[in-house]
Amino acid sequence: MADRRFRLVSPSVLLLAALLGFGVPRAPAQSPSGDAQAEESQRAAGHGADLRGVWNNNPPEAALPFQIDSWSAEPPKFTAWGQGRFDAAKPSRGPRGVPVAETDDPVYACFPPGTPRIYLHPFPMEIVQTPGRVLMVFEYDHLIRQIYTDGREHRTDLAPMWMGDSIGRWDGETLIVETSNFNDKTWLDRTGVPHSEELRVTERIRLVDADNLQIDITMEDPIALAEPWHAQRFFRRTDWTIEEFSCMDNVNFLDYESEILEFDE
Amino acid sequence: MKKLAVKCGAIAAALLVAGQLWAHHGAGIYDRAQSVTVTGAVTQFEFVNPHVLIYIATMDADGREVEWSGELTSPNRLARSMNGVKWHKDLLAPGDIVTLIGNPARNGAPALLLNRVLDGDGNVLTGTGR
Repeated sequence: MADRRFRLVSPSVLLLAALLGFGVPRAPAQSPSGDAQAEESQRAAGHGADLRGVWNNNPPEAALPFQIDSWSAEPPKFTAWGQGRFDAAKPSRGPRGVPVAETDDPVYACFPPGTPRIYLHPFPMEIVQTPGRVLMVFEYDHLIRQIYTDGREHRTDLAPMWMGDSIGRWDGETLIVETSNFNDKTWLDRTGVPHSEELRVTERIRLVDADNLQIDITMEDPIALAEPWHAQRFFRRTDWTIEEFSCMDNVNFLDYESEILEFDE
Repeated sequence: MKKLAVKCGAIAAALLVAGQLWAHHGAGIYDRAQSVTVTGAVTQFEFVNPHVLIYIATMDADGREVEWSGELTSPNRLARSMNGVKWHKDLLAPGDIVTLIGNPARNGAPALLLNRVLDGDGNVLTGTGR
């Protein structure tokens, strides 16, 4: 946030600060000045934006009934394959949720949640930008998404991935991210919506204003979904730091839950 | 449990408005339509992920000691004072009197999905379980 105010400071004040021996104010975890200059010239050319910050989910009121578990109040339209997988799933959350000890949700075996499901886990994320990459650092299990903005194409050499492989390009101040190369071992949400390896996720990420970030998400999967599934996620800037949350701590929680389930009055 | 105050209606409606229509851990554990209030002395306070746990010793109407427990959200969230008081690992010590208000386990186990925790003077320590 200090960096944001820095941009509004007039050059003469900066010169005075330099003469007085004050360093240029920096936001925490700032990249070296070379990267900042590269980004400045990128922005001067009309490309890119400064999305850096620690962001926390800030849902609109209309989304409150479902946004902690899914992207819409009702499941998306499935293909026959998708419907079959959805019906067979045993989520721990949502209207047909089972105890954590009985769920087959891969997240509870501590597999990565996948993209965009990672946004549903109620922990903040930090955006870090370096030339050629936008990084999303998630407090949930310290997952990192690397979004390459250096013009490279998707990988063709590696096997399908949990979080997919993300490439991004700037459209003005909006970052358009395309993610593919997914394995089929994750769910699209926390209620058991499945996907195949054909999943492609498109995100449009932009600042609504200095303190608000919006991500428009489209999930397309001709094997699982009869039509694209659209979603939105809203984030508010915080002054937090990313802390630790290890999925493996859920193992301890299973003992607590088991004790409750074994209670016999 | 004669000491339990079961409140429906207004509290259930407030929870619905707060967006907690869907059960956190599925329908198998807690009854989201019921609310229970218990007060007692802290026996354990586990300020850990994924859920902060509070255990208290209470006495039932027959004079038997019953240990109630309640689960909250991640300590990371509670430490950010999203819900008022900034929590930390030494906030509660054994012997501290607290009141736990939450949704009870369906099977009658003395366990709550906490919605509110009060200190010994009735001050709100956290106003929401999530």
